[in-house]
This record gives sequence, structure tokens and C-alpha cells, in this order.
Amino acid sequence: MDNNLLKINYEKYLLANGLQVILYPDNSVPVTAVNIWYRVGSANENKGKTGFAHLFEHMMFQGSQNIPKEGHFRFIQEAGGSLNGSTSTDRTNYYETVPANYLELALWLESDRMGFMLPGLTQEKLDNQKEVVMNERRQRYENQPYGRAWETLFSNLYSNDHPYNWPTIGWMDDIAKFELNDVKTFFQTYYVPNNSSLVIGGNFDTGQVKELVDKYFSAILKGSNKIPAVSVSVQTLKENRKVVLEDNVQLPRIYFAWPTEKAFDKNDATLDILSDILSASKNSRLHKTLMFDKQIAQDAQAFQYSGKYDGSFIIASTAKPGVTLETLKHEIFHEIEKLISDGIPQDELTRAKNSIKSSFIYSLQKMDLIVDHINHYNCYLDEPDSFVFDLERYEKVTAGEVISSAVIYLKKPFIELNVIPKEK
Amino acid sequence: MFDRSINPTPGKSFTFKIPDIQRLKLANGLDINFVQKEKLPIIYAEIVVFSGSRLDPVEKKGLSYLTSLLIDEGTGEYNSLQLNEEFQKLGTILSINSNHDTIILSILSLTEHFSRSLELLSKIILHPRFDERDFNREKKKVLDRILQLKDESSFIASSIFEKKVFDDTCYAFSEIGYEYTVPLITNDDIKNFYQKTITASNSKAIVIGNINEQEVVEVFNNYFNKWNTSSDNKKLFVRPKRNKTECYFIHKGDSNQTEIRIGHIANKRNSADYYATRIMNTILGGQFSSRINHILREVKGFTYGANSSFHYYKESGLFEVSTAVNIENTGEAITDILNELKNIREYISVKEIEFAKSYLIKQFPSRFETYIQIAKNFESLIIHSLPDDDFKNYTKNIECVDVEEVQSSAINNILPDELVIIAVGDKEKIYGQLKELFDSDPTELTILGTNLS
Repeated sequence: MDNNLLKINYEKYLLANGLQVILYPDNSVPVTAVNIWYRVGSANENKGKTGFAHLFEHMMFQGSQNIPKEGHFRFIQEAGGSLNGSTSTDRTNYYETVPANYLELALWLESDRMGFMLPGLTQEKLDNQKEVVMNERRQRYENQPYGRAWETLFSNLYSNDHPYNWPTIGWMDDIAKFELNDVKTFFQTYYVPNNSSLVIGGNFDTGQVKELVDKYFSAILKGSNKIPAVSVSVQTLKENRKVVLEDNVQLPRIYFAWPTEKAFDKNDATLDILSDILSASKNSRLHKTLMFDKQIAQDAQAFQYSGKYDGSFIIASTAKPGVTLETLKHEIFHEIEKLISDGIPQDELTRAKNSIKSSFIYSLQKMDLIVDHINHYNCYLDEPDSFVFDLERYEKVTAGEVISSAVIYLKKPFIELNVIPKEK
Repeated sequence: MFDRSINPTPGKSFTFKIPDIQRLKLANGLDINFVQKEKLPIIYAEIVVFSGSRLDPVEKKGLSYLTSLLIDEGTGEYNSLQLNEEFQKLGTILSINSNHDTIILSILSLTEHFSRSLELLSKIILHPRFDERDFNREKKKVLDRILQLKDESSFIASSIFEKKVFDDTCYAFSEIGYEYTVPLITNDDIKNFYQKTITASNSKAIVIGNINEQEVVEVFNNYFNKWNTSSDNKKLFVRPKRNKTECYFIHKGDSNQTEIRIGHIANKRNSADYYATRIMNTILGGQFSSRINHILREVKGFTYGANSSFHYYKESGLFEVSTAVNIENTGEAITDILNELKNIREYISVKEIEFAKSYLIKQFPSRFETYIQIAKNFESLIIHSLPDDDFKNYTKNIECVDVEEVQSSAINNILPDELVIIAVGDKEKIYGQLKELFDSDPTELTILGTNLS
């Protein structure tokens, strides 16, 4: 199958206020998707004020000068659209998918909160959303088995001054202390047209949409605050370190984390393929040994977690009843050694690549996913049409490269986390 | 400049055409529901088998679920891992899911690999190995998963809620089974269950994608013509009666939130007031700006989210309000939900109804975007024995519901005096709140839903 299926025709231009606009027309669908990325995430926060970018995502649905509280939801849902936002370490995105004739409504709503957010902001709204976010933290992390594992792992892997040291949702104590003035300054610094990128995809007339984008966004002023650069300290672990966390769980789980490299860096795709070979399917190395042959693990996963500023390679596995984490650890490292010494047969590599290629094609079915990918490529690579480039990163990987990336990264010191059942 | 305080009006609306569905029939009686899509070189196919955990024997709950885990553990010349490799070579995604009413086996494949993918799927369905070794491994995995679920408050709340509402009928049990039922399942039970329920006459196929009618018939005839057509489908569900409202709680130490479920048994999907009920629930708790989410999240900040929904099984409906709230506000959150259930029976405004209708009608085309979405829509028609024109008439069916019908739907389908209320949280913190709320001692249950004596 031809990779050119993944090429997209787009038009990209810049408004005078610095807003990047990318248009991706596709008139075969009845919808239009609007997707804005603000280049701000938890990596832009400071110690003591973690969770700010995420809390702010909540505030963006609390109304602005011309939109009442909950107005975004009401307007878009009444139009039959869907909407949401999400926050990562590196960026915050906001998106609507609407029936194509409602595109102007989505632009009106997005432009009002980009340009006229502060007049709608009140202490009452902030207090309400602080409570909501604290409950989100309880529901998704604190009251979930193993729910605090990831933040424990990353806060130990990354040093205090590293932007990936804290969880995106923030520490509970920090969330409780947010103040209105901080929210305002944060908005004025990061939520400006020159720090964002707008993608519109789907059914529309390009000429008409340019006029609408101009109408709603060109009057928004460029930010006047300097956007602070994120400083990333190089992470090297001198020795292995073990952390133990007691939790309300029945079965213990072990996690390993190694510092690696950031997204789209030299070995990023290679490490993705390494993780697939270790754990993406029933017959992957870890699944076969731990779950199929020896039956000492309930589950096993490996992945390269990479962002704009840094990356890490993670392996996690849950022990079966009666199996110690030491046993799991021994077997996991044995598999890594075996992979390095015995190599990877060509057909094993081909299987991993074929699954990746299919997943690229499958992802072309939904316009909201396509525009989010386009924005991702635009913000990371400065080239929206990067689907083919991205896929080819994986197609080019050789078995030798997978082995050497395992040697380069997985033979180095790591953080080990043991989540163990609480003594009752 | 223009006035930003005025919301823009929509442009001319697009006409949306529901994909045409074709009904094809194989020589062995298997029905295929087929929609041709040409844009992408992708085909999605699923086999809906009317099996599912409602057919599980009482002492062997978990049988259907375990069967669904075992059916792709090897077929003919391939063992479990080799079979998995065959799919991976093609980049095809195989999924098998078991729920109360069905086992659904599906493939998502590139067009160029569809024939081979379907061949593999047919091998799985027609010739599963059911090796003893695979059986023992997967059964142990299920038992260890059941052990893990003891720490998941949301699972405990939902499963005990269904147990109480369905009162020991076939929908009352967890699909995954229990620590006292799964050990009793034997590999022969699995083979028998497979023989009896996974048959051509008990199944329907759905195909969506880049392939034409002749090709569909041809590949299915090639691979599925020898599928067993015996039939042994019985109706098992006897609707239990609803009881007076009762509050139960389950102690879960160390929780800083309470998982709450409130609701009762409801009408089936094909009841006459389905559309009125859909509109009513959209207002009550069916989307973000609904009454329940508004009060619990946006006014009080008690929760990350709260919703109400009508779930539709083949033989019954289920009305459920679901949320997790910070533990100190458990009593007040339940009071707020109960108030909303009373209020909606008393008053629904024309404006709310117009909003809900607009939402339901205009979002309809977006439910046909991916091939899997299209298939799932037609799957619901099949499961609930609905007419083909259900989608064609969707807009009309919503538009013609009037205010009185929405109001009657609330009165007939929301029954505040016949609720099951479940709270899962730390006993020390919630007991007093619940007692005060109901002016009586709430009933404590074990995490299996049995009374604590």
C-alpha cells in the first residue's frame, strides 16, 4: 500500500498577531473540526504551583467576556457538536467538532476565550473548579489502585528542577492554594495568539474560512509578557534507586524507568519499536515469557514516553499471587539481555512495523484525530504534513538499531518502583 | 467591528444521508449487514453472536467471558501465539468481547489483507482448539483479575448496583464471574458452551468498508459455509419487581471519595416512549450541561462528573445515576441527586426540551464517522430487533415528541420510591451521613453484595 495515502493538502499562514493557522479541507465529511494548541503545559509550571496548566484548562470552560459559565458546552452541544480540552506536560489543546454549518460558532467561542477571557473570571468560578480538580485527582489517581504510581515514578526519575518532575494534574497541596492573580498572569503570559496554533479541518470553503478566522482572531492582541523558556537539566542517574509505595492493591507491581530522549529525536522511533517487541502483543517478548510460559505476571507493558523536552523508557509488570517482585525483575532483565545477545529476527521486526503502518491508516477515519495530529506535527516539527515522515521513521528502523538503543539506554542506571499491598 | 456578544447563526445545513445498508444472506443462513464505504482502504467486520453471560449457569458465572478469552487461543495448525503472529503480520486488529447478551468477534483490516484476515477469523470461530493448557492459564488470569477488582471502588459499586436492581436474574451478575464460581468451570463446560451458542443461526455479521457486495458474499461463503447452524436459544430473563427505595453501603477503607450508584430497572429499548425518554434523560443527566452534572460539579464542586443513563440490554433496560464524590459530601450529593429525580417529574421547560432535541438531532451525523461507529449503530438495531428504518426516521421520531410526552416519560420512567442506592466508601465517614439522610440505618453489604450479618 502506498504511503502517499497519508499525504495531506493543507494551507498554513500567520496572522499579524502571531497566530498560526492551518486549513485542511476535506469535503467528503459532514463535519468541521477546530483544534487549538497553546504551547503551555505542566512543564511551564514551577515548584509549589504545579497543576496550574491543567486547572487553567478547566477555567477555559467557565466562560469569558461574552460567553456565560458552561456556555461553551451549551452552544456546541445545542449545535450537535462535541468538545473538550486536554493538558499534557508540553501543551494544552481545545477542540470542537461541529456540523459543518456551525463552524463560525466554534470560532466565535474559541476567539472569545483567547482574546477576552479575563473579564469573565471570578473568585467564585475559581473556587468551584479547584474543588472539581481536587475531586478529579481523587477519582483518577488517589482512589485508584496503583493510581499514584506514575507521579511517584516520575518525581523520582527527574530531578527537582526538571519540568517533568511533577504530575500534570499537580500536587494536591498546590491545587488547594491557587490564587486568582496567578491565574490572570498565567493567562496573559501563555494564552496569547503568538503562543498558539489553530487547525481547521473538514467541510468548508477555504476563502470563506479565511475571512472568518480574520474576523474573529485578527483583533486579538499579541502577548506583551515574555514567555519564559523551559530549562531542561540533563538527567543522568549515577546508580539504580529503588522506591517503595504502599497502596490499596492486592498484587504488587514493579516499574522501571530509564532516562532516554525526547520526541522525534534520533532513537525515539527505535525505542517505540523496542517497546512493541517487548510488550505490544501476546507473542511479544515479555508477554510470552512472563504471562504465557512462566505465568508469573498478570500483565506487562513497556513504552517509550517522550515529549517535547525529554523522554524515558518504562517497563511495568504486576506479579501473580505468590510471586515476588524480585523474580519478575530477574526475568525482565533476562529478556532484555537475551534480546541484546540473540538479536531480533527480521519477521519479528516486520510484524511490529506492519501494525504501526495499519494504525496510521486506521487513524484517518476521524476528523478530530486528524486535526489534532496535524497540530502535533506543526508544534513539534513545524510541518503539518508529517504523517508520511512519521511513518517512515518507523519503516527505516533496523534490528541492529533496536539492539543498540537497548544497549545505550537500558544498560544504564534506572529508577525502580515497587507498589506493594498496604499492611492491614 | 462587530458585536461579539451575539452568537453567530449557522449557515445552510448540509443534507446528511444515512449509509445504505444491504442485507445479504449466506447459504447456511448467516445474515450479513453490509455498508460499502470507498474513501479509505479499510474494512471492518464483526460477528455478533447471541451468546453472552446471561446464559451462564448460576453456579458457573463467568462462563461466557472465559469462553471469549479462550476462543482465539489457537485454531487448527496455529497455537495461540502463532495465531497472534498471523494477525500481526497483516496489521489486522482482532477484538473479542463478551457482555450480557452477546459475544462479538471483530477484525479491523486493510482492504488488501481482508480476505486473509476473515479466513483467520473463520478459523477461530469454526475450529477453536480449547487446549487444556490455555484453559488453565486463562482461568487463573481471570481469578487473579477478580482478586484485583476488590480494590476498584467503581467496579464494586456498579456490580453490586446491578445485582440489587436485577435481583438475582440473569443480568444481576458480573460478566467476569466470582471467586466461588470461576473455579467450578471446566474446559468441557467451555466446549459445550461454544457448541451450543456460537453457531451460525445464533449470529449476524456486519461488514463496513471498501469492498463490494459480490466480494463480501464470496469471501464469507468461502470461509463460513461450514459453520454449525444448530440453534439452542432460550429466553431466560424474567423481569423482577421493583422494591421500595433502599440504601446500601459497602465499606472501603482509606477511600477519600464515595462511589455512588442510584437507579432501578427500566423499560426495554423498543418501548414506545424511547425517544421521549432519550430527550428527558438528556436534560436530567445525559450530557455535560445536564441538571445533575450542573448541580454536583458546576455549582457545588463535589465531583469531577456525574451522569444518568438508560442502559439497554436485550431483555431489559436499566436506569442509573453514577458519580464519585468527595467523602465529606456523600450525604448532600445523594440528597441533590434525589431532588433532581423528583424535580424532573414535576417540571421540564420547553427551552430544555428544545435544547435536547437540537443536540440529539444535530449530533446524529457524527455518529457515522468511523467504520466501527457505523457498525455499532447497526449492531444496536440487530440486538434490539429494531426495524431497518429506525435510523431513517430518527430525526422525525425526535422532532415529533411533544412537551407532555417528555413530562410523562419522566413520571413513568423515573421512580424515586423504588430506587436502589449504593454507596462505596469508608464506613466511618459515610455511615452517619447516610443514616441522617434516610432517618434509618443503611444496610451494609460485603463486596460481593451479600448482607453483612
